[in-house]
Amino acid sequence: MKQAVAYLGLGAVYMSLSSPAFAYLDGATGSMLLQALIGGAATVAVVGRNYIAKAKELLSRKPTRK
Amino acid sequence: MCDAVADEGSFRDPGGRIFSSRSAVLRAVLEPSAPAYEASRDAGLLRGLSDRGLLLPAKEIDPLALPQVSPPPSYVLEHPRIPFISYPYEWGFSLHKRAALHHLDVHLSALEDGFTLSDATAYNVQFIGTQPVFIDHLSLIPYTDGDVWMGHRQFCMQFLNPLIFWAVLGVQPNHWFRGSLEGIAPEDLSPLLSWRQNLAWTIMTHVTAQAALQTRALRTGTTVGKPRDRRLPKSALVGMLQGLRRYIDKLKLPGQTTLWGDYAENTSYANDEQVEKHRFVAEMVGETGPALLFDLGCNSGDYSQTSLESGAKNVVGFDFDPGALERAYHRFQKSRAFLPLWLDAANPSPSQGWGQAERKGLAERADADALIALAFIHHIAIGRNVPLDMAVRWIMSMAPTGVIEFPPKSDPMVQRLLSQREDIFPDYCEEAFLAHVQHRGRIRAQKHVRTGGRLLVWYERS
Repeated sequence: MKQAVAYLGLGAVYMSLSSPAFAYLDGATGSMLLQALIGGAATVAVVGRNYIAKAKELLSRKPTRK
Repeated sequence: MCDAVADEGSFRDPGGRIFSSRSAVLRAVLEPSAPAYEASRDAGLLRGLSDRGLLLPAKEIDPLALPQVSPPPSYVLEHPRIPFISYPYEWGFSLHKRAALHHLDVHLSALEDGFTLSDATAYNVQFIGTQPVFIDHLSLIPYTDGDVWMGHRQFCMQFLNPLIFWAVLGVQPNHWFRGSLEGIAPEDLSPLLSWRQNLAWTIMTHVTAQAALQTRALRTGTTVGKPRDRRLPKSALVGMLQGLRRYIDKLKLPGQTTLWGDYAENTSYANDEQVEKHRFVAEMVGETGPALLFDLGCNSGDYSQTSLESGAKNVVGFDFDPGALERAYHRFQKSRAFLPLWLDAANPSPSQGWGQAERKGLAERADADALIALAFIHHIAIGRNVPLDMAVRWIMSMAPTGVIEFPPKSDPMVQRLLSQREDIFPDYCEEAFLAHVQHRGRIRAQKHVRTGGRLLVWYERS
């Protein structure tokens, strides 16, 4: 189970071709693994929030009556 | 500027070094950081952030202005001095929350322009009054979509977790943070939270999950490789930062809904005695015209207010009671002149960190021109069992001139301290107090605010 969590996190990460930023800190393993997991969830949440906001907007628009 | 002295806390970054002189702070931008600095400067990021008041202003001066740096730095930046340097373990809840939100705002703003922050240390946020300002220009580095957030753990340890202590646990984190300069680790906070408290998404992820992943990784020896091999999409990073901002913005101290109720009571009509005190303080401040004044035991800042109105340029208010600091913060939350800080006078911030000099103790930073210590000395002399002589000596060492209020034993404030203990303070009396003051300076003026009541003394150190 614990392996699964770790591998799930690692599985969410792809190889990067970006140049390294000047980063002096040791990122810490827990933080790096967490970002891999959260990264996916946050993207979903942001996208989801946008959809919900759009839906609310559509529903709140009152149909005009002539 | 040969008189510029190297800052003992500035050594970790191979790309930069800080020097201070009487009038300015100089930053040597060294070769490793020069490209990033040029990029953030040329993109207008630094100017943009400082124009908005988010970043300390910087001016490029002659690189040879720091002859003590050899080989000469790529650039030398001059910054205005901050009236009083404070450390995160001296902040009250609202100040710390403000610093956290500020850090996130700077980060999100930088990302909009293609830059990011290379770290998230709370020591990079200072205060001018109660206004936070980011001070480490070299933390702003170019961002490429996919770069992971290297400062995440630091942000959690130095911003998020202390705020969770305040708002979720209802416990002051200052003592812990002062001892653990890098902050409060998620692995240490996680066991303290109840299962109910864990249900909040932010806590579940940034505290509990991070702690679990860290602990597991250490136990199994898992490694994650170099930062350049890891990837966090920009939308995810922005999502994280915004999520943290939303969560922190909503944090409140337990019972904070009654804050304004207390405040209203405290600002009720000032009686004659208080009017006298205000007048005495105003006279001292008006005469002295201090650039920096300390208000020891500032409470909600009544006399700090008077000091500012009487000509003090900057006031730092110190108090032991977090509630008082909250009241003071809310009263001065737009101020650029008043900063409320937490202080245990019997145990002020020591010099500590690397070489026991990285973070300066209170005495090393105490550069006040004047002070007021009203309704304060009895807490030290009676409450903390410090001999009156030593209490007077300490107060007078904090500033060359000031006003000290001496409440006699008969005063209700002192009676309350003595109510549950033996009176072992034969030396606590007005005559002794005056003698102790005169031993170290002269008494410029003195006044009883009530016959047989409290004594105000305006001292000048010799």
